[in-house]
Amino acid sequence: MKKFLIRLAIFTVFFFLVDKLFIFVRNAGPALEVDRRLEMILEGQINADVLVFGSSRGARSVIAQRFIDSLGVSAYSLAYPGSDVTFHEYLLRQTLEVKGNKKPKTVILVVDDSDELKPSKSLKFRFDRMYPLVKYKSVRDEMVKRKEKKPIITELLVLHQMNKSNFLFKQRKFTKNDSIMPCGSMPISHQKKTFDKKYNTEIYNYTREDELIQKIKAFRTFKDHCKDNNIQLIVAIPPNFRKVTVGFVPRLKQVMEGYGTVFMYDESRPEYSNSDFFFDNTHLQKVGSEIYTMELVHYYRELNKL
Amino acid sequence: MIFNSLEFALFLPLIFVLYWFIAKKSTAYQNILLLAASLYFYGCWNWKFLFLLSFSTFLGYFTGLQIEKAGTRSVKRFWFWLSIILNVGFLGLFKYYNFFVDSFASLMNGFGLNVDPDSWTLNVILPVGISFYTFHVLSYVIDIYYDRIKSEKNIVDFGLFVAYFPLLVAGPIERATHLLPQLKKERVFDYSKSVDALRQILWGLFKKVVVADGCAEWANMYFNGSFEGEVFPGSALFMGAIFFTFQIYCDFSGYSDIALGTSRLFGIELLRNFAFPYFSRDIAEFWRRWHISLTTWFRDYLYIPLGGSKGGTSMKIRNTFIIFLVSGFWHGANWTFIVWGALNAFYFLPLMLLNLNRNNLEIVAQGRIFPSFREMFGMVSTFLMAVFGWIFFRANDMNHAINYIKGMFSGSLFKAPHLPELASLTLFFVAFCMIVEWFGRENKYALESFGLKWFTPLRWLFYAFLVVCIIVLSGKEQEFIYFQF
Repeated sequence: MKKFLIRLAIFTVFFFLVDKLFIFVRNAGPALEVDRRLEMILEGQINADVLVFGSSRGARSVIAQRFIDSLGVSAYSLAYPGSDVTFHEYLLRQTLEVKGNKKPKTVILVVDDSDELKPSKSLKFRFDRMYPLVKYKSVRDEMVKRKEKKPIITELLVLHQMNKSNFLFKQRKFTKNDSIMPCGSMPISHQKKTFDKKYNTEIYNYTREDELIQKIKAFRTFKDHCKDNNIQLIVAIPPNFRKVTVGFVPRLKQVMEGYGTVFMYDESRPEYSNSDFFFDNTHLQKVGSEIYTMELVHYYRELNKL
Repeated sequence: MIFNSLEFALFLPLIFVLYWFIAKKSTAYQNILLLAASLYFYGCWNWKFLFLLSFSTFLGYFTGLQIEKAGTRSVKRFWFWLSIILNVGFLGLFKYYNFFVDSFASLMNGFGLNVDPDSWTLNVILPVGISFYTFHVLSYVIDIYYDRIKSEKNIVDFGLFVAYFPLLVAGPIERATHLLPQLKKERVFDYSKSVDALRQILWGLFKKVVVADGCAEWANMYFNGSFEGEVFPGSALFMGAIFFTFQIYCDFSGYSDIALGTSRLFGIELLRNFAFPYFSRDIAEFWRRWHISLTTWFRDYLYIPLGGSKGGTSMKIRNTFIIFLVSGFWHGANWTFIVWGALNAFYFLPLMLLNLNRNNLEIVAQGRIFPSFREMFGMVSTFLMAVFGWIFFRANDMNHAINYIKGMFSGSLFKAPHLPELASLTLFFVAFCMIVEWFGRENKYALESFGLKWFTPLRWLFYAFLVVCIIVLSGKEQEFIYFQF
């Protein structure tokens, strides 16, 4: 028994030494990334008066550069395709917490009118965007907080902080669907092959039945960050290639608890029922994004009496 | 609590220390400790399941005693059938009742009668491991009835036989004749056996966490994608079936390796469950090497009592179909499992009818590194037959399976599948795993003698590499597939 326990202890020590060698692998992660927006937040390099948050609908539909061009205000998009409101809340919280980041004057949260508060297969907390940045303690802490990682083991083992994506050792590149402009926005200039281009005239009614409590909580926390920091909050609804869900805006206002405003696009515009302006049924393509963003810029100007 | 969890990583050393340091004075103390640990382990899933487990244990214990002391044949038969009916009844209620109601309603609706299954189905969850511990108790009662063993008088020992935590939730399905005598014997700590046990646990964890869970990601993608209208080429669907083939093997054999290794740490040997089935040269050999404890259970308690292969051709065919269909149905209440069983019966039948089913009894390419062309052909064809069968096993229902097969055998079967980048990493680990298994195929498990002759630091580096892979690739703890059965 004694021999067994001693050998086990020696192997454990040996393994701990091996584990520490992987610090080099962990720290190499950020340099391989092409999307450096989260790293900019963690390094305190965000410097914009207007920040855009959202999922792919935020990334594609709002071109932050138009705020700069039209209004002369600094603007930057932190919208991540495939992310949900829990991730947006994390990004805003980090932006406000990390020293060096400029506190924004306005935050635009672009929402999904069917999935914002509900379960969704395509929208999630983007842990995959965090793994390349696990060298930052705040990233590891967030992973532990969200039960992606175990608390004590994360402290003890470098290996436990990573996942298989950290071992690809390959420089990431921009793809046709994920090219990022200097302003952080990601508009697309083509159409999806499977887009059926038939405008959906069906009327959808919003129901609260399957809303997720954690998404509602994250949405309210997002709003509270804005309120506590005296940041103007604009919740923006971009067009789908169908009518907006009836009852969604009142529900949104209810969750916003009186803070911030809701920007709804002009449904009467013919472009929003013309497939040439869309990438697919739920995303605008760049020509459509230009129109929508200008509507939003106009709204911002009116709101701030510029 | 599952084997690939942090909780188990703390639980096992704790029980190990208590077992060898505190309870080592007597076998009785060790058994009490193991039984308490087993009940805690099982209660971690849902403490309410403990009532069912306890009921099954007491039922087996009590009826076992009654069968043995019965004065007449009819009394003996009464207690025997009472035990069988109650055990199988509970299994049927929890596992198959809703399936029968749904199937009956579908049949009636087919005849134009409006039967709503929802008003008849029960809202019950399947207790984890019920199929396994029910089979433990059944084998015990049957063995007493046929005077193969004496009934167990010690309730702790019997309780441990039924609920022993390494095998409780997914086997191997033990026999009283094998396990109970070990529980009576004094256990002495053995250094080499314990090191060997850790090696088997390590290999089991590697297969589960690195290979099976890695394959699961891609198998799920292809199987779910084809279901949601996303168009994958036939070649990608074929790859999905391949991924599932390795997932199910590494998941279940990985579990079995951990179970056997864990038990060996306490000085108790469990039945072997897998013997490198994907290196089989025909389907009969495959079934001698896959889920051995279940196939031998069915052989001993169903196939042989039915007459086995002693009767005429029609009896052989009947018994073969019964055993494969029951085996399929044992896995779950779904037509896909029954079709999977039937398909394997069709695979097996020609071999049996031509008396070729016991052709390949020895290990493939024994004493050689490479197999012969004939052996290679046999292995590849058996593997492909297994892959096809697993499509039914994995599919959600028969429609899903048929659509998947249609998609797979479309014109795009020979197009490049365009695998995701990380899928290549999984394929690398699959290849690594199968190479190690190939070199270890003459042992009880792949790592048993692999690298033992290497220079110690090199061997430790190899073990460290396995641990590194396990830690890095362990995402959220994924349950073992066989827990649902």
